[in-house]
Amino acid sequence: MVHEEAMEMSAPFFKFGMFGDSFSLLLAFLIGIGFGFALERAGFGSARKLMGQFYLTDLAVFKVMFTAIITAMLGVFYLGWIGFLDVSLVYLTPTYLLPQIIGGLILGIGFVIGGYCPGTACVAVSTARIDAISFLAGVIAGIFLFGEAFPLLEKFYNATPMGQVTLPGLLHVPYGLAVFVIVLIAVAGFAGATWVEKAMSGRKGA
Amino acid sequence: MGGEGNVRQKGSVAVMMLNVKKMGRNAKLGLLVCLLGLIAAFAGNPYKGTRVTIDTAELAGIVQREVDHVNPVDLADWIVKGLTDYRLIDLRSEAEYDQYHIPSAENAPLATLPDYGLGHNEKIVLYSEGGIHSAQAWFLLKALGYKSVYMLRGGLDDWKDLVLFPALPQNATSEQLAAFAKMTEISKHFGGTPRSEATMKAGDTTMPLPKLQAPASPAAPQAAPKKKKEGC
Repeated sequence: MVHEEAMEMSAPFFKFGMFGDSFSLLLAFLIGIGFGFALERAGFGSARKLMGQFYLTDLAVFKVMFTAIITAMLGVFYLGWIGFLDVSLVYLTPTYLLPQIIGGLILGIGFVIGGYCPGTACVAVSTARIDAISFLAGVIAGIFLFGEAFPLLEKFYNATPMGQVTLPGLLHVPYGLAVFVIVLIAVAGFAGATWVEKAMSGRKGA
Repeated sequence: MGGEGNVRQKGSVAVMMLNVKKMGRNAKLGLLVCLLGLIAAFAGNPYKGTRVTIDTAELAGIVQREVDHVNPVDLADWIVKGLTDYRLIDLRSEAEYDQYHIPSAENAPLATLPDYGLGHNEKIVLYSEGGIHSAQAWFLLKALGYKSVYMLRGGLDDWKDLVLFPALPQNATSEQLAAFAKMTEISKHFGGTPRSEATMKAGDTTMPLPKLQAPASPAAPQAAPKKKKEGC
């Protein structure tokens, strides 16, 4: 019954009961505003900008996502390492391999056809883009259809469950090593994307 | 700054610093994350979940005020109403659990509890045969940072005495009679047998436990929460 000499774990705040449901919703609202603002300022409220990704002329989305991933990853790693964040309490979406691959493909096809992903569609709606409004109406209709058809889809929805898996756990490598390798992949991807953008826009000009 | 000779002397480090100066902002940030990644590779494991911190004064206060108890009758009421905002944990062995458990309870013997997959913000009600094991489990979970952990007052023993086989006290007042009438209904819901003076005999403790399927709870199918055990 002694106070631990090490720094007291205090995050994730919600899981340690620092605030309740209603305040967490308020926080989510504020963080959401920040996220939407950043997306809009990055130009991600424009289907034209987003489509540049698929024509390989503008890989900003790819770069932003990869940057966000490694920033968050390094943040979680070091906050856990200094003892501020209890990494084991961070919620991980359980993996259902097959349904998530199929779902990812459907989302990707929808992205290419519609010009938005669900998040950027919301951002684009905030500036009253008509294409985004119809896209979002489609998203809502799709959610409704999914909900109604769920009894038929339930078996597939729960297929190939793997639980909460992480790359270090799956590959049996040390956590830090996985962090390092992913950082290298991201940096290489970033450099590669810049090179591809230059090559593609050069071809366009010629 | 120093002369050229200095730069040459410091060799590769100085050359590197020179190159960094020439780099663009993206390249600098790239170098920074590579460095952080490299350090991470040797920093060790960030998981430190087994360390615990205990606020002794807070715990002692909770114990003294007994706010961490749930009465069997209240629990019965929750189950009848079909409340699902809590998880009921049976700490006894699997064999005992299979023989009888309170409807909607999940089986998690004491040793498996820390890895059982309970949420830190979930309302958890613990019970064992008497009160000792659940008190120990309560302390364990509190130490691990679980916020709302409760014990079933008197454990399964009191559940039997108060809910399954409630007894009408001799020379009962009208209030006690009304309460007993209400408990009779609840008891029957759980497949129990209320005892009045007529059926009460000295040392009558061998009432038959209800069969497991007997109580039809209006709550969601009971198999659902147990499935979590296999999940992750």
